[in-house]
Amino acid sequence: MKSMKKNLKKKLAGIKDKQPNQQNQENQEDLPIYPNKNDFIKSVKDKTHSPADLIIRYVSPTITIVYIDNLVDVQSLNELVLNGLKDKESITPSEIHSILPIPEINLSIKLNKSINEMLIGAALIHIVGQPEVVIAKISSYQSRGLAAPENESQVIGAQIAFNENINTNLSLIRRYITNPNLCNEKFTLGRHTQTTVSMLYIHGIAAETHVNTVRQRISDLNIADLIDSAVLAELIEDNSFSIFPQMLLTERPDRFSDGLLSGKVGIVVNGSSMAILCPYTFFEFFQSKEDQNLRWPIATFVRLLRFVAVFLSIFLTPIYVASLTFHYEVIPQPLLVPLSESRAKVPFPPIIEALFLELIIELLREAGLRLPTKVGQTIGIVGGIVLGTAAVQAGITSNILIIIIALCALASFTTPNYTMGNVIRVLRFPTIVLAGFWGYYGIMLAFCILLIHLLKQSSLGAPYTAPYYPPRFKDWPDSIIRLPLLLIKRKSVNTRGGNSEHPINEQNGGKKV
Amino acid sequence: MKNSLHISLNQKINAFLLIVIVNACQIGVGIHGFQRVVYQDAKQDAWIAVILSFIYAHFVAFIMIKTLKMFQDQDLYGIHQMIFGKYFGNFLNSLYVLYCSFAFVSIIINYKEVINTWVFPHLASSFLYISLLIIVIYTFTGGFRIIIGISTINFLFTLAIPIILLVPLKYANINSLLPILDNDMINLLKGVYSMTFTIAGFELINFIYPNVKEKSKVGKYVHIGLLTTLFVYLTTMLIALTYFNGEQLNKLIWATLSMLSMIKLPFFERIEILIICGWMIIILPNLCIYLWAAYRGVIRIKSISPNKFVWSFSIVIFILTLFINTRSQIEMVNNIFSKIAFIIVFIYPFILFIFALIKKLFTKRKVQNDETI
Repeated sequence: MKSMKKNLKKKLAGIKDKQPNQQNQENQEDLPIYPNKNDFIKSVKDKTHSPADLIIRYVSPTITIVYIDNLVDVQSLNELVLNGLKDKESITPSEIHSILPIPEINLSIKLNKSINEMLIGAALIHIVGQPEVVIAKISSYQSRGLAAPENESQVIGAQIAFNENINTNLSLIRRYITNPNLCNEKFTLGRHTQTTVSMLYIHGIAAETHVNTVRQRISDLNIADLIDSAVLAELIEDNSFSIFPQMLLTERPDRFSDGLLSGKVGIVVNGSSMAILCPYTFFEFFQSKEDQNLRWPIATFVRLLRFVAVFLSIFLTPIYVASLTFHYEVIPQPLLVPLSESRAKVPFPPIIEALFLELIIELLREAGLRLPTKVGQTIGIVGGIVLGTAAVQAGITSNILIIIIALCALASFTTPNYTMGNVIRVLRFPTIVLAGFWGYYGIMLAFCILLIHLLKQSSLGAPYTAPYYPPRFKDWPDSIIRLPLLLIKRKSVNTRGGNSEHPINEQNGGKKV
Repeated sequence: MKNSLHISLNQKINAFLLIVIVNACQIGVGIHGFQRVVYQDAKQDAWIAVILSFIYAHFVAFIMIKTLKMFQDQDLYGIHQMIFGKYFGNFLNSLYVLYCSFAFVSIIINYKEVINTWVFPHLASSFLYISLLIIVIYTFTGGFRIIIGISTINFLFTLAIPIILLVPLKYANINSLLPILDNDMINLLKGVYSMTFTIAGFELINFIYPNVKEKSKVGKYVHIGLLTTLFVYLTTMLIALTYFNGEQLNKLIWATLSMLSMIKLPFFERIEILIICGWMIIILPNLCIYLWAAYRGVIRIKSISPNKFVWSFSIVIFILTLFINTRSQIEMVNNIFSKIAFIIVFIYPFILFIFALIKKLFTKRKVQNDETI
């Protein structure tokens, strides 16, 4: 099954492969650096289709500098490069290499490589008569400043989030972890985007198998473009067909560093403010970094609250629908009176009523999300109150259902991870439908399928439902509860290395039975 | 002869999981109404019959594990082939496969009966069968570990039963248990015999044994598993005996469920409806492990992919179950099954043990002879 999925993935990648047209293939053939000045400029212009922001500066009759406007740092260009080359008439590339006070400087005899470097912000220095070009990397990155995390805000803890620049993000991580064992492997993905991707892990803590798996999966990728880390996560996941995310996307450097320290493998993608952490288990998605900063009884309470919330969020509306459609007898008599009163005017069966209200809530959420912040909040409140009241007064829904639906919606937002919260919300719909058709039996069907599905998932080959199945008692103090830090082993058993005792699903191909 | 069974490390489980497996196999649909069957013979001493039956079960499990330990890393199918040769061994294997399928059918029709009686009187049985089979197929295709995973969750559910049953305890009349042992031995033994349908299931350790990592601890955990099941059955029996008057118990097909129906929460009544639907998670590992055991037997005879097997098996079972509809038919199936189960689970291990001993002796002598020559 797994291997089939792999093949499918490859096929999907293959479909993308066919995109590059002939022009791109033309670009593939490598040209040398022409010693002649005009030939060189012409070849660069040909390659790049003479863009408007290509700047060619003649420093002296022999030296030419070519770069792309706005990609290079103007200050270092002026002060370091231009000043350094001011009065030099006859000079060789290797001499430039040694005299220019620039941290990263290279020589190249290949045109393609030089142009690629130029496209990410290097200045090419060409000298007449030399079949070699100097690549001075003085690139400048446009990026926003560091800000507080918006999606994973917390009260106690660091108030800083990743931004879109990989170098800033890496430096943030390095500031948290000062350890020579912190490994950083660089990949370049996407033929059109040449996106830099860094795989981070701490040697000696992260399991060798996980590191190898991630490395293998990333290097196997053959994609045309990569814009965001979420796309990369989906491409290297164990099961892209599942509704559950198997890798964490976080914008918090402290959470990311915490993950690395507990033996996970991290991936940072240039241009994306979300970093990937894997392997991740189902239960870890409901943990917040803040839980570690709170007193342990409170953290335990909050975690349990979240799990109750998840359960309510998925099953409360279905239970209402099932009870009112099939199992009147489970409702105690005192409760039956208000229920029947509020439903007396409603012309629809409970399933229609519930689906209708759920739809409204989802619409409000989506509208609130897409609108500008200030308008969004207003729409949310006004829409909620107006629609809710009007729906009850018009007699198309019952009061009690509105309470239940609002409770479910509220509960689904307690999940600290946005991706997982979405999943929880969506799972409700099929459950409502099953409950509307087959009552509690339908709900139980949904529950069983959900359970089996969770048991079947794996993240980087590690079991998704750990530490409960397979049972790993050492991990229980930090799962759906949190005991005092003294009792918590730092290294998660799920990511343990070497000769693992539970090599569940470790080999992806292995057929089980 | 395809005797060696290759089990990769990722299909192996820790020995302590045997507790939940034994528990999951033993507790199924039987617990809904085993009280009546035992009560008919053993009267107020039914709880003693429960204990006696478990003592016997412990003994049988002990013999089973002894037999398994004689043949390293073999399941019962392999042992059959080794002792009785290929043809007769395969014949016995196919009988065992049939037994597993029979158990599967028996569980699924009993559950359907409960659903139809308590929750949905008119829900088509074909829908119930199809939905259950689909879930079973979904679990089975996940592999052995997923099946055991479901058992683990089921373990929590079964342990909740005695706790929920504490509520009816406030109406219990302890005098119903008296006089103790006011019954002749024959009736008590009949009661023990009636328990067999209920506590059959632990024979599946015969097939799970090769998948356990620490073989030396198998015995310990199987016995602990049996003890936890005993605890669940004994509390259920004792509470039923004291909650109901004796003659009432004679008329109740599902005494446990009847007891549950008196529990009232401020926002929820008739809790048994929810519990019966929730019972799906308790019979699921039951069904899956029997299916898995049957598959193990089938691949010894004919190699077949698990997907193909589970689909064809489900279709056959589905067609079979459509012929069993009325309560009397189900009762008949249960009676036949309890007879077969008694022979296969509680008598056959001894016969096999004797044969295994003879075989061992024979091979040892042969080896010695070879050495002397």
